Amino acid sequence: MHVSQAEFLEGISGFLGSYYLALGAMNAIAALYVWSSLKKNGLALCWLILALLFVIISPLAYSGRPELIQFISMPESIRNFVDQYMATAFVYSTVTLLSLVVLYQFREFFVKPVVAWLMLNAALLVMGLSMADSDFAAIVTKPDNVPIVAMVFLLGYFTWLATYKAVQNDQRMAQGLEPLEALDQEKVLVWPDLVYIEMICMVVLTAVLILWAIGLKAPLEEAASGVKTPNPSKAPWYFLGLQEMLVYFDPWMAGVVLPSLVVFGLMAIPYLDFNKAGNGYYTINQRKFAYSIFQIGFLEMWVTLIILGTFLRGPNWNFFGPYEFWDAHKVEALNNVNLSEYFWVRGIGTALPKAPEGAGAGTTLLYIVWRELPGILLVFGYLAVMPPLMAMTVFRKFFVRMGFIRFMVMSNLLLMMGLLPLKMVLRWTINLKYIINIPEYFLNL
Amino acid sequence: MAAKKKMSVEEILASCRKADSDGGAGPEAAEAAADTAPAAAEKPQSASKQPSSASPGSMSVADILAAARAGKPGGEAAESPAAGGDSGAEPPAAAKPAPAKNPGQMSVAEMLAAARGEKSGGTEKAAPAKSAPKPAAKPAAAKKEAAAAPGSGPRDTSSILAAARKSVKPGPVSKAEAAAIKPAGAKPAVVVPPMPSKPDYAKPAKVAETEENRRGFLAVFFGSFLAAGFTLMGTVFGLWGLGLAKFMFPNVRTEPPSKFKVGFPADFAPDTVETKFKAQFGVWIVNAEYEGARMIYALRTVCTHLGCTPNWLEGEQKFKCPCHGSGFYIDGINFEGPAPRPLERFAIRVADDGQLEVDKGKMFQEEMGQWSDPACYVPV
Repeated sequence: MHVSQAEFLEGISGFLGSYYLALGAMNAIAALYVWSSLKKNGLALCWLILALLFVIISPLAYSGRPELIQFISMPESIRNFVDQYMATAFVYSTVTLLSLVVLYQFREFFVKPVVAWLMLNAALLVMGLSMADSDFAAIVTKPDNVPIVAMVFLLGYFTWLATYKAVQNDQRMAQGLEPLEALDQEKVLVWPDLVYIEMICMVVLTAVLILWAIGLKAPLEEAASGVKTPNPSKAPWYFLGLQEMLVYFDPWMAGVVLPSLVVFGLMAIPYLDFNKAGNGYYTINQRKFAYSIFQIGFLEMWVTLIILGTFLRGPNWNFFGPYEFWDAHKVEALNNVNLSEYFWVRGIGTALPKAPEGAGAGTTLLYIVWRELPGILLVFGYLAVMPPLMAMTVFRKFFVRMGFIRFMVMSNLLLMMGLLPLKMVLRWTINLKYIINIPEYFLNL
Repeated sequence: MAAKKKMSVEEILASCRKADSDGGAGPEAAEAAADTAPAAAEKPQSASKQPSSASPGSMSVADILAAARAGKPGGEAAESPAAGGDSGAEPPAAAKPAPAKNPGQMSVAEMLAAARGEKSGGTEKAAPAKSAPKPAAKPAAAKKEAAAAPGSGPRDTSSILAAARKSVKPGPVSKAEAAAIKPAGAKPAVVVPPMPSKPDYAKPAKVAETEENRRGFLAVFFGSFLAAGFTLMGTVFGLWGLGLAKFMFPNVRTEPPSKFKVGFPADFAPDTVETKFKAQFGVWIVNAEYEGARMIYALRTVCTHLGCTPNWLEGEQKFKCPCHGSGFYIDGINFEGPAPRPLERFAIRVADDGQLEVDKGKMFQEEMGQWSDPACYVPV
């Protein structure tokens, strides 16, 4: 695997050149569409110029020569900056959350087709520029990861589409008009309209699968062994969010309790939801709470964790920057401390309460509870005191409309959902290992 | 079809009968009404395209009324069916006996009542045809009713009418009555001739039942193909189950023994981790200091978080799990990542020949205070 930079560039030049040609073709098609269907000549000219730029770039990439490719690589300074200052889970999560907030807040600007198209081009260009970096390319072009890269763009497209329609509807409804979906009441037949679409999808999907199987070799590894774990050892991509969660929680919590709560919480949504608006059409303004909570849960706490686990977690599950070499001996100084130790040892200055030698099981348990009392009180306070507080302050209207039981269910689900980011932030900031730590009974939180 | 509640033919005829008795016309009127129908039916036989072969006895009410319509002279009759369909919206109210009714929704009962009314009014047999636009709208309705009726009501309208014509019982009859009347004039009962007795050659041969002997035992298992099949199936399943049971106890077990010798204590240098037993036995042999005492102990190579196999990193002097990043010191104490408790120790002792012997059958957990047990370390 250890190849020189020149050899690496030689190897990737064919792909990169074709990549830029494809980007050029993409923009040319967009220009053609804008010119012929939308009749916007100025805009078509812009996309045509962009297409030409990509076409001009592509021979540089095809050449495979370092002195030419350096013009279309991510500058060294930016790469170093990203690796040095952005390469922690804390910064990564904060940046993604902030960008989601910005996208949400200025959605009316970002969903404009021109802006969205520019953002897509920018994302693809950044990816292309980064591909000239061998470490970045090694991760992104791994056969496991290629479909995940494709899915990131797919997810971006669908998020844009839904937001675009929602913004359109919101603007219409602000003017007192009905949503767009209400205008299109034409009914189509299952046969042939739907069945033909399904059949075409089936054919296309089969073709894609065949091409994919031919193009990307299945990453076969050595025979499985119970005593040898690959490093890094990664779950299937769709479980990488859970694997990331496992870094912060006990397996019992992150593997059983929280995933079950995710499932049951999603099932409970129809029963908790009292907002009748937004039925059958896209909208954000009429369902701000539901929309933002769902998007935070899905985009921030599921998708970005998958991306984090796929591309940014390296050997020994250390966090690596996108342009960083996956060094199995990277040292991350970590010394995680339980809350009980923070409280008893560092706070009060005594040793952890411990049952005397030869004490009975009941006494030992009492000592354990006494030792973990700060954490137990904290968790109890979080789950029992917060709901009434929420009902009296920010969620006052919710409480009135939902009633006691529904509000309690909703607020507790919300609090359990908040447990993950809370624990993550506590781990990142004060190296907190567990709030409640009772390894004697496999109970850790 | 019609918005009005559909009446079955039975109900229609019942209401018709009721109207009869109310009107006091009695059997004569009903008979006359019945007479009118065939008479009207005969008319189209010569005049129009109505089915000429249809005998009055097998004609349905719809047919009869359609025939009555067709018998009406002049161009009105020809256009009336079409008009009937259209005029559903605008009834010719002036000519109607039932002004509130929409012609398209007229029931058979009303039609028959109207026919009866005409008859008792003194008109002769051709009169229904002549009674201008009134019946003209009705047949259309009658057609519709007739089309709808077979699905819901009893189908023997024609037989009822035929019975009425034959003066078995004057006037329409209910379904039950029709059933009671029918056998009298209907088809004769089929008389089945007695079966001839079987000839000798057709009789089954008598099985000699005297041989109640040892062969009877075998007959239980192989007496028939079914029994043989089930016996065979049972045997195969039984053998298969035995084979499955044997599979649980293989002849050769490839897993290493739980007790094994790893060498002399002097082979393990201070502050080193011997990793060569990891692949086969899942054990690290460590010579290190723990709580001030130098000792040799055997650590289990399973992460206490989720069961991955950590790696010993010589440079960092720690065990590091590749799955979620848990880290352990050389003494097995967890210090980073999510692992909630230290690595586990196996039992270790100095065997009779002076070698160290590890017993994986016993485990010692630090958080349970078991590491003070002398069975889990060998002092050096």
